[in-house]
Amino acid sequence: MWVWFAKLGSPKWFYEISGRWLPWMAGAMILTIGFATVWALLFLPPDYQQGYTSRILVVHVAVAGTSLAFFPLMAVAGSITLIWKMKLADMVAKNAAPIGAWFSFLTLATGSLWGSVTWGTWWEWSDSRLVSMLFQFFLLIGVISLRSALDDRDQSARACALLAILGCINVVVIKYSVEWWNTLHQSASPVTIGGGGANGPEFWVVTLLMILGVYLFMGISLILATRNEILERERNAVWVQEIVDGS
Amino acid sequence: MKAHRRNRLGLILFISLGLSVTIGLTLYALSQNINMFFTPTQVAQGEVKPGQAFRIGGMVKEGSLMRNESDLAVKFTTTDFISDVPIAYNESLGILPDLFREGQGIVAEGSVDSFGVFQATKVLAKHDENYMSPEVKAAMDAAKLLQAEGSSFSNKGYVE
Repeated sequence: MWVWFAKLGSPKWFYEISGRWLPWMAGAMILTIGFATVWALLFLPPDYQQGYTSRILVVHVAVAGTSLAFFPLMAVAGSITLIWKMKLADMVAKNAAPIGAWFSFLTLATGSLWGSVTWGTWWEWSDSRLVSMLFQFFLLIGVISLRSALDDRDQSARACALLAILGCINVVVIKYSVEWWNTLHQSASPVTIGGGGANGPEFWVVTLLMILGVYLFMGISLILATRNEILERERNAVWVQEIVDGS
Repeated sequence: MKAHRRNRLGLILFISLGLSVTIGLTLYALSQNINMFFTPTQVAQGEVKPGQAFRIGGMVKEGSLMRNESDLAVKFTTTDFISDVPIAYNESLGILPDLFREGQGIVAEGSVDSFGVFQATKVLAKHDENYMSPEVKAAMDAAKLLQAEGSSFSNKGYVE
């Protein structure tokens, strides 16, 4: 296990193996997002109360769910940086922050659109789900700024790792805000496996597909950004020189 | 794992645990301020000072919605099925959301006047987490109705 762990930490190994993963991931992403988009726009049944407005849930739930993955991911990568000083972990953590900020922004934007139609408001400062999600967006901006604020790379990596670990507390708050407090935002929908009830397969299958697709999109974005970072940080390594000369 | 690495892992876990507990207790202490609205029961129990602006959240009671013919005034009762609070609103302040209807969850902003009526300045519609197609909803309502009728019939048969 430790051999595999050490191997995973090698930027060269990661660059090679991720290059092999990318086409498969891209293919799966195009299939899932494409299929889910067409399905959601043309065939998803209307909700008995909200009508066709509820179709936005497919996108909103997918980006919101994915946006919650960034702080745990950065915290795991950050802990590895703090404990083992693995270079690759820090490269992943660094590039996750801006992607996470975009996902948080998309969550807020799609939620706002949905709320403007169903709730009758774009934004409510008094709703803890909305505000904690906005807080996550600002925290991610904070991680990005902290990264560029410190000149020493190792020092900024350690500071960002700590902030990422702390940010995980906010993820728990976002997740359970709708259970702990009174909010305008509804709670998570319990799915029913069989048909005939609320949240049946006609709603959740397409949502699950979109979630898969969006996670793949997140993975691909992160891998591409990390590969870029590897080439930049390892630009003096022989294997990088070979790639540059070869192309 | 080497000793200094284990120590560092321990330190990270200790700091995160300590901060989680601190933040958890803070949020717990502030929960009344974090709550978006008061329920009609909380209002009936006098948890809100008279004249204070606040938000109230509940269901629009079935059969309580009244619209004024001549102007845009709307009156309805909000309920949590324990206590009721009457609400007055005027749509000249902004039209009610599409989802606003009897039996729907709402959140209203305003204050209680001297007659005990909540004078709303803003009304928002809540919706729940249960998505259903109109067909499923109709089928479920029909099944519920059938069950209710069935039980009343069997009761009748038993009594007679």
